[in-house]
Amino acid sequence: MLRTLAGLSLLGSTLALAAPETPPVPGPTPPFELPATTRFKLRNGVQVTLVPYGAVPKSNVSLVVRLGNVDEPAGQTGLTDLTGKLLLQGTGTKSAIQVAEVAAKLGGAVAVNVREDETSLEMECLGDSTAEAVRLVAEVARTPSFPAAELARLKGDLLREVAIQRSQPQPLAEEAFARAIYGSHPYGRVLPVAAEVETFTLEQARQLWTRYAGADRAHLYVVGRFDPAAVRAAIEEAFGGWGKAKAPARPRPTPHAGKRVFLVDRPGAVQSTVRIGLPVVPPTSPDYIPLVVTDTLLGGSFGSRITANIREKHGYTYSPRSALGVHPGVGVWVEQADVTTKDTAAALREVLAEVEHLRKEPPTAEELTGIQKYVAGTFVLRNSSRAGIIAQLRFVDLYGLPADWLQTYLPRVEALKPADITRVTRQYLDPSRMTLVVVGDRTVVEDSLKQFGPVKIEAPR
Amino acid sequence: MRILFCLSLALALGCAHSPAAPAPAPAPAPAAPTPSPPPAADAAAARFVPPDARPAFEIPVEFYTLTNGLKVVLSRDTTAPIVTVGVYYHIGFRIEPRNRTGFAHLFEHMMFQGSENLGKLAFIQLVQRNGGILNGSTRFDFTNYFEVVPANVLETMLWAEADRMRGLKVTQDNLTNQQGVVKSEVRVNVLNRPYGGWPWLTVPQLANKNWYNAHNFYGDLGDLDAATLQDVQQFFTTYYAPNNAALVVSGNFDPGPVKAWVSKYFEGIPRADVPPVPDLTEPPQTEEQWKTVDDKLAQRPALAVAYHMPPRGSPEFWAMALLQQILVEGPDSRLYQELVQKRGLTGEVEGGANLLGNQYDYQGPMLWMASLFHDTGHSPKEIVAAIDTAIEPLRRAPVDQETLDRARVKARSAYYADLERLYGFGRADLLATHALFDGDPAAVNRIEPSLLAVTPELIQRTAQEWLRPTNRTVVALQPAGGK
Repeated sequence: MLRTLAGLSLLGSTLALAAPETPPVPGPTPPFELPATTRFKLRNGVQVTLVPYGAVPKSNVSLVVRLGNVDEPAGQTGLTDLTGKLLLQGTGTKSAIQVAEVAAKLGGAVAVNVREDETSLEMECLGDSTAEAVRLVAEVARTPSFPAAELARLKGDLLREVAIQRSQPQPLAEEAFARAIYGSHPYGRVLPVAAEVETFTLEQARQLWTRYAGADRAHLYVVGRFDPAAVRAAIEEAFGGWGKAKAPARPRPTPHAGKRVFLVDRPGAVQSTVRIGLPVVPPTSPDYIPLVVTDTLLGGSFGSRITANIREKHGYTYSPRSALGVHPGVGVWVEQADVTTKDTAAALREVLAEVEHLRKEPPTAEELTGIQKYVAGTFVLRNSSRAGIIAQLRFVDLYGLPADWLQTYLPRVEALKPADITRVTRQYLDPSRMTLVVVGDRTVVEDSLKQFGPVKIEAPR
Repeated sequence: MRILFCLSLALALGCAHSPAAPAPAPAPAPAAPTPSPPPAADAAAARFVPPDARPAFEIPVEFYTLTNGLKVVLSRDTTAPIVTVGVYYHIGFRIEPRNRTGFAHLFEHMMFQGSENLGKLAFIQLVQRNGGILNGSTRFDFTNYFEVVPANVLETMLWAEADRMRGLKVTQDNLTNQQGVVKSEVRVNVLNRPYGGWPWLTVPQLANKNWYNAHNFYGDLGDLDAATLQDVQQFFTTYYAPNNAALVVSGNFDPGPVKAWVSKYFEGIPRADVPPVPDLTEPPQTEEQWKTVDDKLAQRPALAVAYHMPPRGSPEFWAMALLQQILVEGPDSRLYQELVQKRGLTGEVEGGANLLGNQYDYQGPMLWMASLFHDTGHSPKEIVAAIDTAIEPLRRAPVDQETLDRARVKARSAYYADLERLYGFGRADLLATHALFDGDPAAVNRIEPSLLAVTPELIQRTAQEWLRPTNRTVVALQPAGGK
């Protein structure tokens, strides 16, 4: 056996101690059991899930409220983000600095994360302080003071964040792609617009929170090392008196499919930031898990076909990936990559060719088995950290999935056959219905994009 | 609003696509590992607290060295049915060849391009198709390769890491391909975006004087193009030897066979003569430096301050960990309160030592940085004056007990977060670096007591000497778009 590199012997004399030619075959995968959860509901409707977990003496407390950017009317994109900032400016009994100092003493900080479908108040703390953290999160959610003096500063922060996002190609691609798929639905408005942010008032933010954030629209998750009895008592005391809230009327998304090409001009860009995708199905569909596995094989893992092609074979890009992006009622498959400008069209052709290939020919059983093991392995990893466990439980709750969805996930992944992959690829991943978005240098790439269809020039909002 | 872009992938093989202390059981030692050498005299955590100081959360550590010099650390954790395998080589981007900037990182990519028994992509697929994740990253003083896999895959991973430690088998095509991939990485993280490399790549080049600490670690595209297969071979034979590496197995492994596997796969790999680390010393700074960088893609200005850190492991080093909590961690911190809450100059202040890792996983001169984005209406001078308003009181008087108590709790909590990072990979990282740099992975268990032993007087003394304006570089990023 030669230890060679370009024909040159590296470590010539050590060959006698050679490793075997093939890797040792792993034994059976150890059984995986999801951590046990305790679920209950307070009389006012607050849902609670407690999960004792882990060895490290910490806990995560996460209060999830059904209020998100999807609830913003046209002209108010980002109002929820501003509201989230205002929540941290003090409560009925504590100033902003007092909230921050109490949280620090517990080993963390209260953070507000605003997403399209939900807003969460989150805190990571030392395990011994979990009950205190629950009380603090409840106080911030229930009695925010909305001080008028902070409004201008926080709007300035939001405007700065938006300006920084809008100077980067990936958010611009995200925005153009979402608009192409979701049109005028709030899911189609990814980034706030400066002129709109300027008009936001304190009253709008206060109303948004007080109207839609309440006991029956909230779910508290606590995961980590804590005293369950003390935490339960703290939850009942801190959240028991919270009033109910209204449910905002959420518009139904009607995603658009179709072969369209959008180009956002970014003069001088040395890379093109691309998105290729189309609507598929939401997590409630029986085809969702087959699509997860198909996506992982196609572009959703390092060893996937598209990555092997446009990165490892052609060197067009560093970090390509595909993913399923989902909201209640809808799902989208999308491949994303930042490719060298001159290779833009070639990279897009290769992506589409990989999709076509999978539509024509089923994967071998060996390739599929490997992907199934990867999907199973990353499922175990996702369920092996406090934040990951909360994310998995939130997913099940947001989409209203059956109670045993996580328990039956692995067997459903393992049951898939090569023909299932071909079927869902043919049914859902039709290149003739895929939308292309390119953020790049128009003078260089526009002509080459015409092979994919008429090119529409998009101006960023 | 979704977070649409993140920079945590810098100088890595790729971006991740996904998303009670048991005592180690005695195991028969099949080969005859040599006893580990005593900890180096300057071991990071050795001096500041007594060697028997115990943390609230203790990690089991078993440490030995193979006859070929490979340091081995075993640390069991049965929380989940997963195990981390990490191989750390004592070669970071600091000491790459002078006419080959970016080479240490390009080489890291080549470690995935083929070894004797695993062809291109085969290593990646061996990990993923057995249910694991993997990455490699290049840092100041080490390059690491790690996998987090289902517990049953441990032996396979040990075999695979040993296979590529034995030798690479790569072609000119592989090299050309990865030169393209790495140049794409530099484009996506630096050239095609505003704030590319800010502040982690930009500021060391401006604040440091010694070339080893002050060159472009990502590499000039010309230098990346100039790399040859000969360079790859030479780098491998020079640095990728077992006596220049540490292997960590951390997680839910069966303590029975693990040592036999380590011996079987790694013991036969010969040691090599590794050249001494060059002089990395930074000259002491005696005058404040002000620098500007122009960013034609940026819309808003940014500002960073960078102070030279006290030597790793010194009492002042531990005080800096507390000062980080007091100054930049969380909304109760002094810089947040002064710059965000009180003056509205920015929405967030970020900072710390070693932005590509944490305060513990490097060995050599390091900067402590704080950085922020701001609006054009406020000058760098005004912002630096506000920073001084927050820092100067810490130099003038000892901190009050309340501040110290909060900093201690936050420091403990942050250390636990370091351990837990990426499915427990963070624990392997700390064990590996303390083995590699200090010959003493058990020093990890002295981090928590050391953090808690810092006094208000030590904090003041440290702030006086290390947070002095004449020990810092101010870097102002000017946006072409927002001028």
